[in-house]
Amino acid sequence: MSTSSPILTVRDLSIDLFTARSALRPVDQVSYSVAAGETLAIVGESGSGKTVLNFAPLGLMPLGVSIHVSGSIRFDGKELVGMNDEALRKLRGGSIGVIFQDPMSALNPARTIRRQIAEVAELHLSLTSTQAEARALDLLKMVRMSDPEARLRQYPHELSGGLRQRVMIAIAIAAEPKLLIADEPTTALDVTVQAQIIALLKDLQKRLNMAMVLITHDMGVVAGIASRLAVMYAGRVMEYGPVQSVLTAPRHPYTMGLIDAIPRAEDLPGSTFRGLPGMPPVLGAPIPGCAFVERCRHAVPTCETARPLLAPTADRHVLAACPIVNRSSEALHAG
Amino acid sequence: MPADTALLKVENLVTRFKSVERGKWVKAVDGVSIHLNPGEIVGLVGESGCGKSTLGRSIVGLEKPQSGRVLLDGVDLGTLGGRKLRETRRAIQYVFQDPYASLNDRQTIGEAITEALIIHGVADRTEQRRRILELLDQVGLPAVLAERYPRELSGGQRQRVAIARSLAVEPRVLICDEPVSALDLSIRAQVMNLFLTLQKELGVACLFIAHDLALVRQAASRVYVMYLGKVIEGGSSLDVYARPGHPYTSALLASVPSADPRIEALREAPVLKGDIPSPTNPPSGCRFRTRCPQAMAICAVNEPETVALSSGHSAACVIAEQVHRGEVIAPKVH
Repeated sequence: MSTSSPILTVRDLSIDLFTARSALRPVDQVSYSVAAGETLAIVGESGSGKTVLNFAPLGLMPLGVSIHVSGSIRFDGKELVGMNDEALRKLRGGSIGVIFQDPMSALNPARTIRRQIAEVAELHLSLTSTQAEARALDLLKMVRMSDPEARLRQYPHELSGGLRQRVMIAIAIAAEPKLLIADEPTTALDVTVQAQIIALLKDLQKRLNMAMVLITHDMGVVAGIASRLAVMYAGRVMEYGPVQSVLTAPRHPYTMGLIDAIPRAEDLPGSTFRGLPGMPPVLGAPIPGCAFVERCRHAVPTCETARPLLAPTADRHVLAACPIVNRSSEALHAG
Repeated sequence: MPADTALLKVENLVTRFKSVERGKWVKAVDGVSIHLNPGEIVGLVGESGCGKSTLGRSIVGLEKPQSGRVLLDGVDLGTLGGRKLRETRRAIQYVFQDPYASLNDRQTIGEAITEALIIHGVADRTEQRRRILELLDQVGLPAVLAERYPRELSGGQRQRVAIARSLAVEPRVLICDEPVSALDLSIRAQVMNLFLTLQKELGVACLFIAHDLALVRQAASRVYVMYLGKVIEGGSSLDVYARPGHPYTSALLASVPSADPRIEALREAPVLKGDIPSPTNPPSGCRFRTRCPQAMAICAVNEPETVALSSGHSAACVIAEQVHRGEVIAPKVH
C-alpha cells in the first residue's frame, strides 16, 4: 500500500438527483481517498450508487436530471465540487481517464481507431495531428494490441469485445492521467479475456503510477487488482478497508453475506446456494436508520432509527457502519 | 454414453446463419450431441460466441437447425408437424436471460400466466385462478403480485414470474439461458435455489446455459463445455472441474478469479491470449489450437476425436488423457 498522500480525497459526498417525477439520493455521505499507484475498488449491487458516485462529480450524467452535489472532492489539489463545465471537461480524458463497461457504446462507430485515440492526444497534449497519430500507435502497443498498425485503420465494429476494451483503455491513458476511473471494465467480457484485461490494467497502473478507482461487483476482480475496498449499499459505504482484511474477514453483515454467497470449491453440486434474504431497498428518499436493516439478521431496534456511521473496528484499518460490529464481532463470526 | 433413458437427446445438431460476408455461412452449432436425463440439471458453459445460446434456441425451435435431430422421449421432433409438434414442444420451455424484456409491460402478472394456462388448455376461470396462485407460490412470490404489472417488480421477482409462466404448461425440460446473470449478486442465490427446488419437487430437468462457471458447478450434476460451435468436453461436474481433460476447460477454469486476495497474489500471467476466432472461418483441425498452450502440428490437420476419460467424462483433444491425469503442466491457480 502506498504511503504517499492521496491524489483524490472524497469527504462527506452526497448527491441528490431530481427528475421530473422524483427526488433520489444515490450517494449519501460517502468518504474515501486514493493515492498514486493505489487501486480502490468500489463494490456494490445495482442501485447502490457506485456509478453515480464516480461520474456525477465529473459532469457525466444523463440528460433531464438535475443534480445537487454536497461535500468535497479534492483531486490533485483542486476542488471538483462546484467546478465549472469547462474546467471539468479539461480534466476528463486529461488527468482523469475513464473506462466504461460497454466499449461498443462508448466508442464512435463511424471513426477509425486511429482518429479516436489521436483526438484525445490532440486535445489534451496539444499535439499536431501527425504527432497524435504516432502517439496512437504507441498507445496501442502499450495496451498490447496484436498487429497495432492494422488496428489503427479499423472501426470499432471490426474488433472483438476484448480488443475494443483495449482501445478504450488506450484512449483513457492517452494523456497519462493521474487517476483512472474504471466502471465495470471487465463485466461485458469473457473470463479468459477478463484475465488479460486485469493483467493489462495492473501493468499500466504500475508503469504510469496512476491512482485507480475500480467500480465492480465481482469480488474476484477486486481480489486480483485492488489494495483497498469500499462496499456500498443503498448509496452508503458499509465497510471500508484493506482488501485483504475485508475479503478474508468481513465485519459488516452485508459484506459477510456478499462474500458468503460466492460459491466455494467445497460446495457440492446440487447443494443449496448461500445468499442474502430479501431485496435491496428501492432508491428514494434518504433512509433514517441503517439501509441494510431489513435483511440483517443481527439488527437491533436502534438500527431502524439511527443511521450508523463508519467507525473503526477492532482492526483499526477497517471501518464499518454497523453499531453491533465492534461490540460482538466474535459472536457475529461465530454465527 | 448411456443416453437410452434420456428425456431429451440432441444428435449431431447443426445450426448455421448467413454470414455478413456474401455466400458464407457461420456454423454457430456444428455437430453437437448432448442429452438430458429426467429431472437432471445439466450445465452448458463456454464463452460468448461459442454457440451455447444458439444450441438452446435450436432445441426449443426458436432457430431452425440445418441438420441433426432433437428427440424428446425418443420421438424425433423433426418428424412431427403442426399441432402435434406444438403439443410436444410445450414440454420444453425456455427461460430467457433478461426478465425486463421477456414480460409484456401491459399485462398484469396474472394475465401473463393465464395466457400460458389457456395454451395449456386450462379454460375454467376458477381453475386458472387456483393455478396462478399455486404457480406464484411455487416460485416463491406472494399472491398479491398477480394484480401487479412487471414495472412494479424487481429483476429477481420478474425472473420468478418468467419461470412461473414457463411452469404453467407443466414442462418436463427447462432450457435456461443465463437466467440469473441479469440479477444482483445477493438475489442470484435465491433464484438458483428456486431451480434446485423445482428440480427436486417437480422433477423438471434443466439445461442451464451460463458463462459463470462457479454457478454451474454448484447447480449441475453434469456439464458440457462448448468452444466455437462444438462440445469439447462433457462429464460429471465434480470430475470436469477437478480434472478437466481439455486444455480449454483447464484454461477457462484457471481464468476465474478467486475472491481470496492471497490466492490472487500468486496468480501468474493469463494462460490464454487473444479472443475466440471468428466462427465464419474456424481454424482447421482442432478449433482451439490457435489459442492452445499445448498445440502441436497434428492439431492443425485433424479434428480431434472424443476420448473417453472416466465414466461419462470425455474430451475432444489428442492429449486429453494426459491433461486429465494432470501430466500436462496446466496453469494451476487454486
